Order: sequence, then structure tokens, then C-alpha cells
Amino acid sequence: MATLEKYLKPEVIRQISRLDLRAQFIVKGFLQGLHASPFHGFSVEFSEHRKYTSGDNPDDIDWLVYAKTDKYYVKKFEAETNLTGYLMMDLSASMAYSYEQELTKFEYSICLAAALCYLMIHQNDPVGLITFGEKIIDSLPPKSKRQQIGNILSHLAKLKPREKTDIGRSLNQLAAMLRHSSLVMIFSDLLADPDEVIASLRRLRHGGHDVILFHVLDQAEVEFPFEGLVELEDPESHESLELNADAYRSDYLEEIQLFRLTYERECRQSGIDYVPLDTSMQFDRALTEYLVNRRNFG
Amino acid sequence: MGFLTPALLVGAALVAVPLLLHLVMRRQPRKLTFPALQFVRKRQQANRRRLNLRHWLLLALRCLLVAGLAFALARPTLKGTGLRGKEGAPLAVALVVDNSLRMQYVYENQTRQEQATEMARWLVERLPGDSQVAVVDRSRTTGGFVVDISTAEARLSNLAPETSPKPLEVVVREAIQLVADRADHRQEVFLFSDLSAAEWTEEAFDSINESLLESPEVRIYVVDVGVKKARNMSLGKLELRQNVLRPGQPLHIEVPVAVTDFAEAPLVELFLSSSTERAVKRGQRHVELTDAGTGLAAFELGDLPLGLHQGSIRLAASDPLEIDNTRFFTVEVRPPARVLLLGENSSDTLFMREALSPALISDGRAVQFECVTQRFSQASTLQLEDYTVVCLLDPPPLTEEFWKTLTGYAYNGGGVGIFLGHRAQLSGFNEATVQQMLPGKLKLRSRYATHLRPRNLAHPALAGLKDYSETIPWEVYPVWKYWEFDDLAADVYVIARFANNRPALLERPVGRGRVLCLTTPFSDPIEPSGREPWNLLPTGPEPWPFVAISNQLVGYLAQQDNESLAFFAGETVTLRLAPKQGVSNYVLREPNGDSVRRTLPPGENTIAIGTTRALGNYRVASGGGSSGRLEMGFSINAAADLSRLERVDLRQLASAFPAERVQIAETLKDVELYVDIGRSGRELFSWAITFVALVWSTEHLLANRFYRSTP
Repeated sequence: MATLEKYLKPEVIRQISRLDLRAQFIVKGFLQGLHASPFHGFSVEFSEHRKYTSGDNPDDIDWLVYAKTDKYYVKKFEAETNLTGYLMMDLSASMAYSYEQELTKFEYSICLAAALCYLMIHQNDPVGLITFGEKIIDSLPPKSKRQQIGNILSHLAKLKPREKTDIGRSLNQLAAMLRHSSLVMIFSDLLADPDEVIASLRRLRHGGHDVILFHVLDQAEVEFPFEGLVELEDPESHESLELNADAYRSDYLEEIQLFRLTYERECRQSGIDYVPLDTSMQFDRALTEYLVNRRNFG
Repeated sequence: MGFLTPALLVGAALVAVPLLLHLVMRRQPRKLTFPALQFVRKRQQANRRRLNLRHWLLLALRCLLVAGLAFALARPTLKGTGLRGKEGAPLAVALVVDNSLRMQYVYENQTRQEQATEMARWLVERLPGDSQVAVVDRSRTTGGFVVDISTAEARLSNLAPETSPKPLEVVVREAIQLVADRADHRQEVFLFSDLSAAEWTEEAFDSINESLLESPEVRIYVVDVGVKKARNMSLGKLELRQNVLRPGQPLHIEVPVAVTDFAEAPLVELFLSSSTERAVKRGQRHVELTDAGTGLAAFELGDLPLGLHQGSIRLAASDPLEIDNTRFFTVEVRPPARVLLLGENSSDTLFMREALSPALISDGRAVQFECVTQRFSQASTLQLEDYTVVCLLDPPPLTEEFWKTLTGYAYNGGGVGIFLGHRAQLSGFNEATVQQMLPGKLKLRSRYATHLRPRNLAHPALAGLKDYSETIPWEVYPVWKYWEFDDLAADVYVIARFANNRPALLERPVGRGRVLCLTTPFSDPIEPSGREPWNLLPTGPEPWPFVAISNQLVGYLAQQDNESLAFFAGETVTLRLAPKQGVSNYVLREPNGDSVRRTLPPGENTIAIGTTRALGNYRVASGGGSSGRLEMGFSINAAADLSRLERVDLRQLASAFPAERVQIAETLKDVELYVDIGRSGRELFSWAITFVALVWSTEHLLANRFYRSTP
């Protein structure tokens, strides 16, 4: 484990340029610590009964059916058949930002997305990809075939974040697009008006979808490590601001903390999983932490 | 306020540097991309205001730092106001040490003078090598600048207590004058004094102020070496009822005692020594004190033998100030003077004889005069030299021979009293030989009824009556007749006159002797046969004034003046030799036992002694001389106010002088402080640099707080 963990550091993974390998690395590291599917219980929709065979979990035996038929049947859930996942990538220009980290927010998100994609395909669940800027730009329809990993990863590798962003509008668009209940995994820095975003998230959730919000920020955005006089420029609006970083740090940290807390609170209320991340975190650990919590919760 | 290195103040211009840095040389900001700008923008306004405030605060502190540093390095000083413009000039310092007897007060095992000397030496050690130093004390010699500082120290060490100090203001004026003469020097006078109220009087203030006005560059530092709450027992001025006693007459001494802050009643002792003996205690008294702490000790000693007696009165207890615990006195017991009374008959001499040596009370009581009566007819056969005084009572014209003898007698110091009466005639008295003795030529017998009325009793011949001058009823003793003189000789002095302003008693010095002439007789009976009486002086009701006058006049003629033999230290003592005492040299024995042999110029009949600085009893003795052994003496005491220990009010003292000219220091520290301020001003460098450090640390603290990297 200790030796493997070494390879999970972002700087090591970066050396492996192929995304599929990267994703494999992450997930293998993750799976080494787990024996059961982390997605167990994501979907609770009953689909059908089947005959009990040895090896099935006796917990799953439907005793009502046994009473009627005097035969052992186990319940089968829909999730086990098809839980459709959507990886929703923010393509805004701000996602291309990295101050001193190996990975930009976008690259970090891709790594995460790839890992999740790999996990889901591994379970034969269909996974699709949606990219958005001011609106939805592109989408790959969900498939559970093994080639899907390759498709998604190659697509992601080609993407360049350069757009302006309107998360709320893109989410609304997505909500309109989805017909069945799906698992929507959003990767974004959420640098937009939080009220609109939260409203759209609620709407998506209201549509019966499971939502996981991966809030990816650069380490610099979380810690504000600048010193002295700096002129900061917004890569999207190209506005700039001159300020004394030392004097500003505490104010900024309060604000960013407040921002994250707002999302956390709102998401909890709406039953959305909110995962605050920054690019300095090892993503296997980030992922594991999230998924373990998720399983315990479920 | 002044600066030792004012050029460095230019450094304050460096204040421009932080200003320039702040306003002009602003750093170029680093350009960075930052997507989360929206959070920055939210707090922008409030933050900028706060930041601006901090910037300006820091800027102000930094400017203050630079300015403060320049200020501190310029070495600011608080300057004394006097002596401006003489920085760097050498010093002319006069050290005035009060060495009067009062400074012998012992406090903390040190006399005030020792403390003053110690402080003065401490000061001298700190003077720059090129300083001119004068040591001035209160002795009669005038101080001057000494050659070098070690000489000054030696002079300070050798200061002796001064028994007859010059007034303090005189000494201070001398010192001011001394340093003021050094025009190119900085002029300072250090006065070490116990601040006694006896010295610091209004007159002293005025005098010193006047001197300060004359010498505008002199500063005075008064260093207080006194004791705040002094305790003392002291004896005041001795009072002897008589300085010359006759055999049998008791010695009566009174001395006031003053006590400050002692509980017990003081014991006063009387010591007496005659010429040969050592001092023997002859009496002691516990003195009753009043609430004010004063009392009187009185002693009476009888049966003193003939000769010189010297002694002292001492306080038995000891106190911090010893010098006023002993007072000295000298008294002489002399044999009665022999007086020859010449009259025409026994009734002429009766009144005088009874007045001078009353027959009724001759049993052992003190007798001042031993009277011998003779008639004029036997006058030429008498040895006048056997008598001290010869009185002619109502003389008739006498032989020229007798007058010559009498004149010779007077020349050699004899006393002659001539009491003119009805027997005198113009023819017998206006001859040349007689005129050598008489005040002038007889003119007429005045019949103008009048009485004696001496206006001025200052003359020693009548000085004994001074105390009774108001109570003598002169008009009760009328004078109907008296002699008038034509012209008075040039050397005649009228001692007393009648009520009509005519001369009554005249004196004429003849050689070393004295001649008194009364123009009306002292011998007329109340009803003389065949004529009217000239006056009722001896025969009036209760003729005590006559007795008094007779004693005074004869005493004066005998040159037995009741002069005090007590003097103050430093006075020149004049001892009058007996008229016929031929002394060519004598020995002066001083209180410490030393004897000095001195020679007297021929013909000199007084001994003047100027070396009277030591307190105690002095004795003048001569073994030879034409009339045998000479033994005289006198006492030297300190002036009573030398033991006045009350202090002058410091505020009064401070307000009496211009503040910038006279400083009062109570401790060496004060002296040091004043001297530092007075010379170079008080250096404020330490304060200024502390201020700078304070500003600097505040700036650091604020800067760190404002720009700390993580909260």
C-alpha cells in the first residue's frame, strides 16, 4: 500500500500521460482498500425477482414471496441493472487556472472524472459526458461498454477550457435533457453567482436525479498565498484589481470560507453531495474519503 | 534647548525618503491571473480604507523615526540660561566654605565643615584641569586663585574653624568679585553653607543681589550642608556685675542658657583658676527652663583673693555643637586705691571721706578707696606718689612749689581733683603754674542760682550714673554759687554743665594723669559760719547722688575703669597699663598654653593684642618693670549669634535671588545636576534615543501586525 501510494501522487500520475492508465492507477489504488462496490445502494428502485442460488446474500431473500410460493427468491434492484451516470465538466476559462500546482483545476477534474468513469464502467453502468460553458457545449451519450472509457477519456483529453461560464443555465439545460433518474457528477469551480447555481441544482435534484457536486478550486484560491503588491486579473472577464496581498489575505479567506459553507449548507438541505476539493489534495484520498462516507451514509 | 552637534539636524531632511518612497517610488505590482476575483472585489472598499489608514500611520511613524534619529544624534541639551555664549571656555570657580564655628555642628559623625570640605573636594576633583580655582573662607584673610587644583585641595583640607568670621555676604561678594575678574572664563561660585537664618538676612540678600547685578555673568550654587532639625544647648553672653572687684566684694555671674530639643534640664558648672592654679570647679547649677527652652544660670562667689581670676562656665552635657557650651570670663581683685583728701579743716574732707569709704560700714565689707585726710598747710610735706588720687577740697591759694609738685604728680599718671569753692581767689589761681592744672583763668563767682544737670552721661567719669539718669532729682540740690572761667584752655573738655549751660565739671589731661575741676565745692556744710553755702550737693535731702558722683569721679581719677575684660574673637584687645607701670616687655599666654614674648615700645601705656582668634582666657604677665609685677588678663568668647542654628526658609532663600543666577543644592547629586545643566546643559540624548527606539518598535509592531502572512 505504502509503495502504491507513492504512485498516486499527482506529480507521479502526471508522468503517465495516458488518461486511461491514470484512471486505472487511481481506481486500483482505491479498490485495494475496498471489497464492496462503493455504489451499492445508489439506486433503490426494485426491478425484478430471480431464483436464489447459492452464493447470493441471504439478506436479499424475499420472505414474502417465500411465504406465497415456498421457494427462495431474491430481490433485484434497478441500480444493479442500469444506473446512468453523467460526468459534467465545466469548460470555463477559470478552470484552466493553476498557480503553483502540477494540475490545473480542469486537469484535476479530468483525473477525478476518469477515475469515476472507470469505476462505473467497471460495474457495467452506463456513463455519459457533458461539457458546458455558457451552455452545454458537447455531450457523449451514456454507454456501459468497455470502449466507452476510451471514448470519454480521449474526448476529455482533447478539451481545452476557454469559455465563459453560466453554470445555472447549463444545469437547467441538462435537467431538461435527462429523462430517467440519473447520477449527475458536476466538476466545476462554481465561480459564478451562487444563487443561480443553487437554484439550478435544486431543480436538477427535484427532477429525481442524484447529484454529486465536486467543487474543485486551485490551492491558491483556497489559501491565497500571494505576498506584497499584486495585480490580479480575472481570466474570464479580464477585469484586474491592484491590491496588497498581505493585507487582504484574512478578508479573502473569510469570503472563500463563507462561499464554500454556503454551498455546503444549501447542498445538504437539498440532498446533494457536496465535495469541496482543491488541487493540492491527492485525488485518490479525496475520492476514497468521499465514497467511504457515501457508502456509510447510504 | 540647545544642541551639541547641531549640524546633524540636517539629517532630519531624510524624512523626505519615506515620503518619496511612499508617494513617488511606488512598487510595480506583480501581475497575476486569479479567477476568484469576485471574492476579492467584495471586500475591496473597506479594505482599501483600512489599508490607507495603516499606510499613513506607518508613513508617519517612519518619518518620525528619521526625524527623531536626527534629533537624537544632534544631542539635544537642556541649557542653563546663564553663561550663554561661553561654552568651552575654561572655568573660574570660587569655592566659598563657611568655616564659622557654627559649622562645627556634628551630624552623622561629621562636622558641617567637614562635610562642606568633602563636597568641595569632590567638586574640585571633577573640575577640568585648566580651571582656575579660588578657595574663599570666612577668615580675615582674603582668598585668591590658587596655582593648581591640588593646592586648592590642600587649602580645603587645611581650613580651620573661624572664631571671628567675616559676614557671609562680604565673603560671597569677595568671591563674586574674584571670579568676575576672570572675564574670559565661565564664572561660578560654589557656596557651602548651613543656611543659618543668622547669616541669610535681608541685608545679606540685598548685598549679594547688588553684587550679582555688578557681575552679570557669575552664577552661584548654594550647597546646603546644614541639618534640618538641629538640637543644641548653648550658653549666651556672660554678664559680670563687676569686672574689677575690691577685696570682700563677691563675684556675680549670670549667663543665659538656651536649649533646643533636649529634654533634661542642663547642668551648668563654674570653673575658676587664679594665676597659678589649674581650673577648679567652684559651683554647679541645674537651670530651670521656661517653655521656650531658655533659662538663666547665676553664680556668686565670695572671698576672692587679690589678683587676676579667670574661669569658665560650662554645660556639663554634650551636644552636637560644642563651641557654645563654654563661656570664659576674667575678673580682677584689686586693693583699694589710696586717696588723699586735702582740706583746710576736717569738716572740708568729711563729706568726701564718708562718701568714698564710709566709716560706719568698714567692718570687712568691700572698700573701693582708702582715704587719707590732710590739711593744706601740710601739703608740701606729703609724698604724693603714695596716693593714686589727690583731691583739693575748696583750696585756698597754695604755694607755687606745691602746684609744681602736683603738676609733676599728674604728669606721671596721678589723678587730681580740684573742687573750687569760696577760698579760691583770682590772684592765687591765675598764675601760670596753677593754670597748667586749671581749665582756665578764674573770672568771677557767679551768683546765678542753678543746679547740676549733666545732659550726657557718656563720659567715663559719669558713666556709672547712666542707669539712674532719669531718677536723680538734680533740682533738689541747688547750686547758688560757682566759679566762672575766662577762657578755657584748648585741651579742656566739659563733662557736665549746670542747668544754665555754664560748665560745672571740666577735665584736662595732664601728662598721663587726669585732672578734674568742679566749679562748685563738695565740702560746704549746710550752714557755714559767716557766709551763705555755695550749694546743697552733699547736704541736700538723701544725698545719694553726691555719693555716687564722688565715687565715680575719684574712680575715674584713679583710672580704675570698670572696663569689661571680655571680648569677642578677632577683636583687638587694648589693655591700659597702670599709670606708673613701666613695662618694656611682656609675655602673652594664650588659651592653649603657648606663651609669646613681646616687647612694648618705650613710653607706651597700653598693650594692644590683635591675635585673639582662639577662644579662652588670655593672660598678660611681666616679671619686671619699675613698679613690680604686671599681671593682666582677658577672655575671648565667640559671638552669641554664632550658635543660632535656625535655618532660613529655603523658599525665601530661593525667591530672594534671580532663579537663573543662584541655584540651591541639597545633595551632591543636585550639585552634579546643576553643574551639568549649568555647564553644558542636561544631555537629552538618552531620552531622545529612547523615544526613537519606541517609535521604531511601534513601527515594527504595526508593520508586522498589518502584513502578517497568516492569521
